[in-house]
Amino acid sequence: MVEAVMTALGRPFARIPLERRKQLGLLLLTVFILIFPLIHDDDADIDSMANAAAYATLALGLNIVVGFAGLLDLGYAAFFAIGAYLYGILTAYQVLPTWSGFWTPLAAVGLVEKINQGGPDLVHFTLSFWIALPLAAVVAAFFGVLFGAPTLRLRGDYLAIVTLGFGEIVPIVARNVDSVTNGAAGLNGVQAPKLFGWSFGVSATPYYYVGVALVAFLIFVSIRLRDSRIGRAWMAIREDEIAASAMGVNLVRLKLLAFAIGAAFAGMTGVFYVAKLQTATPELFGFPVSTMILVMVVLGGMGSVWGVVLGAVILQLLQSWFLKGLSNWINDFGVMVGSDWLQQVDLVRSIELIFGIILVVMMLFRRDGLIPATRKTAALTFDAQHAEVRRGGFSGLESIGTHENETGNALEVKNVVVRFGGLTALNKVNIVVPAGGVVAVIGPNGSGKSTLFNVITGLTHADEGSILFHGAEILGLQPHQIAEAGVARTFQNIRLFPNLTVLENVLVGQHTRLSTSFAGAILRLPKAKAEESRARRWALDIIALFGNRLSPRIMQQVNGLSYANRRRVEIARALATRPKILLLDEPTAGMNPAETLELAEQIKSLHALGLTILIIEHKLDVVTKLADNVIVLDHGEKIAEGLPEVVRRDDAVLTAYLGRAAREAVNAA
Amino acid sequence: MTDTDFFVQQLINGVSLGAMYSLLALGFTLVYGILELINFSHFNIFMVGSFVALGVLQAMGVFGQATVMTGFPLIGVMVVAFAATMVFCGILGVVIYRFLLRPLRHVKGPAAMITTIGVSYILLNVILLTIGADNHNFPNPLPPITFAIGGAVLRLREILIWVIATLLMGGLTFFVGYTKLGKAMRATAQDPEAARMMGVEVDRVIMTAFFIGSALAGAGGLIFGLYYNDTSSNIGFNAGLRAFTAAVLGGIGNVPGAMLGGVIIGVIEAMGGGYLATEWTDVIIFSILVLVLVVRPAGLLGRLAPNKS
Repeated sequence: MVEAVMTALGRPFARIPLERRKQLGLLLLTVFILIFPLIHDDDADIDSMANAAAYATLALGLNIVVGFAGLLDLGYAAFFAIGAYLYGILTAYQVLPTWSGFWTPLAAVGLVEKINQGGPDLVHFTLSFWIALPLAAVVAAFFGVLFGAPTLRLRGDYLAIVTLGFGEIVPIVARNVDSVTNGAAGLNGVQAPKLFGWSFGVSATPYYYVGVALVAFLIFVSIRLRDSRIGRAWMAIREDEIAASAMGVNLVRLKLLAFAIGAAFAGMTGVFYVAKLQTATPELFGFPVSTMILVMVVLGGMGSVWGVVLGAVILQLLQSWFLKGLSNWINDFGVMVGSDWLQQVDLVRSIELIFGIILVVMMLFRRDGLIPATRKTAALTFDAQHAEVRRGGFSGLESIGTHENETGNALEVKNVVVRFGGLTALNKVNIVVPAGGVVAVIGPNGSGKSTLFNVITGLTHADEGSILFHGAEILGLQPHQIAEAGVARTFQNIRLFPNLTVLENVLVGQHTRLSTSFAGAILRLPKAKAEESRARRWALDIIALFGNRLSPRIMQQVNGLSYANRRRVEIARALATRPKILLLDEPTAGMNPAETLELAEQIKSLHALGLTILIIEHKLDVVTKLADNVIVLDHGEKIAEGLPEVVRRDDAVLTAYLGRAAREAVNAA
Repeated sequence: MTDTDFFVQQLINGVSLGAMYSLLALGFTLVYGILELINFSHFNIFMVGSFVALGVLQAMGVFGQATVMTGFPLIGVMVVAFAATMVFCGILGVVIYRFLLRPLRHVKGPAAMITTIGVSYILLNVILLTIGADNHNFPNPLPPITFAIGGAVLRLREILIWVIATLLMGGLTFFVGYTKLGKAMRATAQDPEAARMMGVEVDRVIMTAFFIGSALAGAGGLIFGLYYNDTSSNIGFNAGLRAFTAAVLGGIGNVPGAMLGGVIIGVIEAMGGGYLATEWTDVIIFSILVLVLVVRPAGLLGRLAPNKS
């Protein structure tokens, strides 16, 4: 419905290019927001818009945590409280130590002042609002890391409940430590912000402009982060943690970063909100507030920057204008018809009921929110889909560059043992992959092939043994460290990031090879810009390997691709990590004979360029075509090794695959 | 009252609270075991349960502290109150699953959990807007019989709570361990797909889990009223969070674990309130929750589920 309205509205302007239309729309919106207090001189309305701005900043912060990184934080208001109490305590007449010489230099820079309430001289903190904003961001981020660190390695749903607990603890502390916070009664006399000596006072207009500036700043930061290496890594974590870590994303660091940034947004908002309200009570920061912010994010669209701002504004307007107006109208109607009950109706009280209904209805019918974060790209036309298959060339591949023909052994798996409870999945397995070689691992289902891959890439813990990669021990390293060292893999059951586009999936693969930092991403310095465009070129080069299989589809979400194309994207993503060794887990599964042949050719050319390959494959023609050496696993043990032709006739291998009787029949024939 | 007496008294209080938390924790554990879903609506099904029980008792003419009953009338009133409350809450849970959660069964991500938060809010606010935020006096038809254990006092109501909780949990243990549907439930918790292929009607099993879990939450709501002689619309949040902590402490998905966890949390609450300070009880309990999750995420009795990849 939203799209329909947007399309209808956009029709007269269809001749203006989309980019220009967006810019114009943004300009008009900005002008309207800036002149709103001038054309609408109603303090109450301006005040509710300032509140809407505060909620929008909170929604933007929670969106980074929930929408981008997929971490459900149900105690987000705790960070809001931390910012609010920080500014409140450091400006209200609550904590008043006795004056001493220690405070004199602080008074000189305006952080404290000497007051006298009869009795000894006391210290009154007068922290400037403008210093408090960044300070609260830092302090809240610190608490974000402190709360997050022990809990972020838990499963997502546990995180929800732990954050809920933290969200409860903070108001309890605020209520109980009343010597500092004045307990349930709340802080009084929080200082209004001053700008060049002029105090904001109680008029809503200056707060409105500060709030709008804050929203604009946080939208800017959100968008810059979203479109950077960091934002892509967050979304990869949201889509599939295991695949993200196997592609080199440091899960703990990036989750903590998301938590810290979300907390920083909330801390700043806390300062703004308490300065505007000039009081702070524990009730302002309880579970209902956290839920309300979640409702805004869900309504607007998880992960959608403009969506969550819209969600926040809609809910604020719903409360302060629509429900109030409707209640008044119903009350007037009650007077008219003489109904006492109708005169009592106060719909604002039902706002939480409406929150609940919004959550349920959105989840059932529109999970992407009012403005979805990702636009579905139209499918290819029939002609494009059926265009003659170009198998792609390898001209762009020279730029892979990092894996020259190295000598020695790329990978040495020594005596590795993996046990799951009573089952020994791998029993003293030894495998050597020479640099520049292609080694195939075959074996019946359940023989431990995928477990072997999981051990090498750090996803499964080994009980004994050692794994050397170019001479360095990698057993015990985190998956992302192993990926960084140059081991890339695909998964048997395809683990792409389903809601990201083909291009984004391949870009995530480059995560460890890019270096743009948090600040670099926000400021988009020339270096970061150049790196980003290099990354995109490189991604397109890799995608071009597969000819027009993937190239016309780079802007499509991978969950809409065919099975074979998803396999290709997974290989492209693995290549994007600039690996020295590529681990392919049944790459041709689910492909028809022609596609299998095509992929085998492509793998062969990757090898020709110097990439070392370890491949699990059931199709023996592929194995024979590619592998220099074949290793056969059965029941977790290596039962044979050698050239493909030799292994094919090995007695133990025949027994493992076909059983004793069949083996004897083959030998007899 | 000597130190020992005080300790015994807090222990009695704690075990009674714990019985209530255990009943509530079982609902979390049953649903989590099968759907891997934290069911936030459970918080307020418990609260609704206490109001349903209040209504049922009042409908039978049992009001406030004035009506005292003995013998068969008392047993009859209790049986009817528990049965009606549990059936009502069980059906409520099934309806919530059938219409709001089942459509999301195969949706990845937090959608189902967010829905349960929404449902919880709806239940809470429906009660708030119809019955109001005031505390309501809850009937106590039990005769004031007490037993002295040293200086500590054991009241009849505590014995009743223990007996009822034990019966319910014993019944559940029997059901899960020894009936066909119970076996199907355990199989579904292990692997829904495999269970379905073996002919288990997974949907029916899930509905059964919701029915039983919600019914036990309703019983918990009644016990809350009997224990505190009071109920209000805001009881769901704290009790629910504590019960969830209990479920995690015992090992979420693990039925005996939830019972054990509930009693431990109840005792901790009573001891914390008795020896430290009531206003810090929540902080203590949440700290335990975090500590358990960090140090031993599988809980006391649970085994960590294999990573379903």
